[in-house]
Amino acid sequence: MAHEILAATNAVVTLDVALPGIIWPWLVTVNMWAKSIGTGVIFMLFMLVRMHPNEVAKLRLPTAIVAFVFINIFLLFTLADLHQPFRMWHIFVHSNWTSSITVGAWMATIFLGLLSLLALLAYKKEDVKFDKVLLWTTILAIPVTLYTAGLMAQCTARELWQMPTESAQMILAALLSGSAFMILMGGNKLSEEAKNSLGVVLGLSALMAFIIYMAEYIFGPMKAEEVAAVLDYVKGDGPYTVMFWIGQWMTYLLPMLLIVLSRASKSESILKLAAILALVGLAIVKHVWLMIPQLLPMS
Amino acid sequence: MQLGFLVDLHLCMGCKGCEIACKVENEVPLSTWRLRVKYVDVGNFPETKRTFTPLRCNHCENAPCERICPVSALHYLENGIVNIDKERCIGCAGCVMACPYGAIYIDPQTQTADKCTYCAHRVASSMMPACVVACPVQANIFGDLEDPTSNISKYIQVHQGGVQVRKPEKGTNPHHYYVGGGNVTLNPLASHRVNGHSLFNNITTLPIGGKH
Repeated sequence: MAHEILAATNAVVTLDVALPGIIWPWLVTVNMWAKSIGTGVIFMLFMLVRMHPNEVAKLRLPTAIVAFVFINIFLLFTLADLHQPFRMWHIFVHSNWTSSITVGAWMATIFLGLLSLLALLAYKKEDVKFDKVLLWTTILAIPVTLYTAGLMAQCTARELWQMPTESAQMILAALLSGSAFMILMGGNKLSEEAKNSLGVVLGLSALMAFIIYMAEYIFGPMKAEEVAAVLDYVKGDGPYTVMFWIGQWMTYLLPMLLIVLSRASKSESILKLAAILALVGLAIVKHVWLMIPQLLPMS
Repeated sequence: MQLGFLVDLHLCMGCKGCEIACKVENEVPLSTWRLRVKYVDVGNFPETKRTFTPLRCNHCENAPCERICPVSALHYLENGIVNIDKERCIGCAGCVMACPYGAIYIDPQTQTADKCTYCAHRVASSMMPACVVACPVQANIFGDLEDPTSNISKYIQVHQGGVQVRKPEKGTNPHHYYVGGGNVTLNPLASHRVNGHSLFNNITTLPIGGKH
């Protein structure tokens, strides 16, 4: 609506304060990317335990360690993004339970505790206990993955993030990055069948995420003028157009094509290339989606 | 008690007295603002006019900043003011991201969130906010919205059809009203922002809180 009025009024801001710029920088991108991998590998390990139980013996400990490391990266970058990092403990003693940040901090802490337990059990080779704890860890990994979508939805100012699709994108990002990382980590520990299963998860999550992004790209502007204005930053000669499309190709389109190729040619190298592209591209996709709503003037 | 603000844009002449009074009263650091007056020029020469819009925290009844703050640094006072406890704030900037009015900033000196508090410290001493005192044309009207005899309640009653809030679609229920506003003055998307075309400063981005 506003742009039609603009043409009629020719209204120009002639004196105002400078726009604040980017509030949540690339640190938050790394935060989301690392969390996707940290929870995603747990989802994939759970799937492999159910579908290919004989092949996960050598994957329990590495997966627990990878998840532990990436959740710590996620927490570290969360901390680094705070302007008062030494007051982080306030979250635990002055918890405001309406805040997704609070809920997420508590859940991530418990999740980290469970990951530590998993690593310990895997180290002691107590597989039965490991698989029981893995079930609860996988269940907790779902809200840990989703809470960021809740946080973004609480950003009332950023209309683009207030779509139900954001939750789906968080889960799909975890499945995509988890399967990609597992393909790279699995190596010769996994059979052809298990790799095919991971490839299917990678390909389908890429397809679904791409469809959702395209739906938002095309139909989002019909929802609200703010969304239309934000999406202009990834259209035409917008400042993030190139990065947006590089991300879409690297994360979704090329991996999908490569997975089809790898299945046809039974090439593990092509599958691994798809996994690498998806992992790198995901950071780009997340970064673009994080940045563009922050470019819009709020007042 | 539910304190609220009303700005009559018919009266505001863009002197920025309120802006300066706020800066001085609250020791607001350079490059940051609790209250600002935005100028928007409308029309084509020679048929042009200039509008002035004071912008500050809306002290919403359903405040997104209060909801997202993980440590309740942003909290309601009994008089309806959305106040901030800078000692408790961890500087996550969630409130900055949540506020649809761009009213919250990271104080570069304390590295914590800050915003207009309707001069809560003055109100506690039965004084009017600094911006109200400084306004030479009484365009800023402040008072208890629940008291039908207060100036703000009377003003709203007299101008019932013309009272507006910013971004009502956000569901925040602001306690900050405008009379004489329009799309150009209240909707940031209804005006161009052109680099280098501002009167006294380039409209450009600044690093806040030492970050880019």
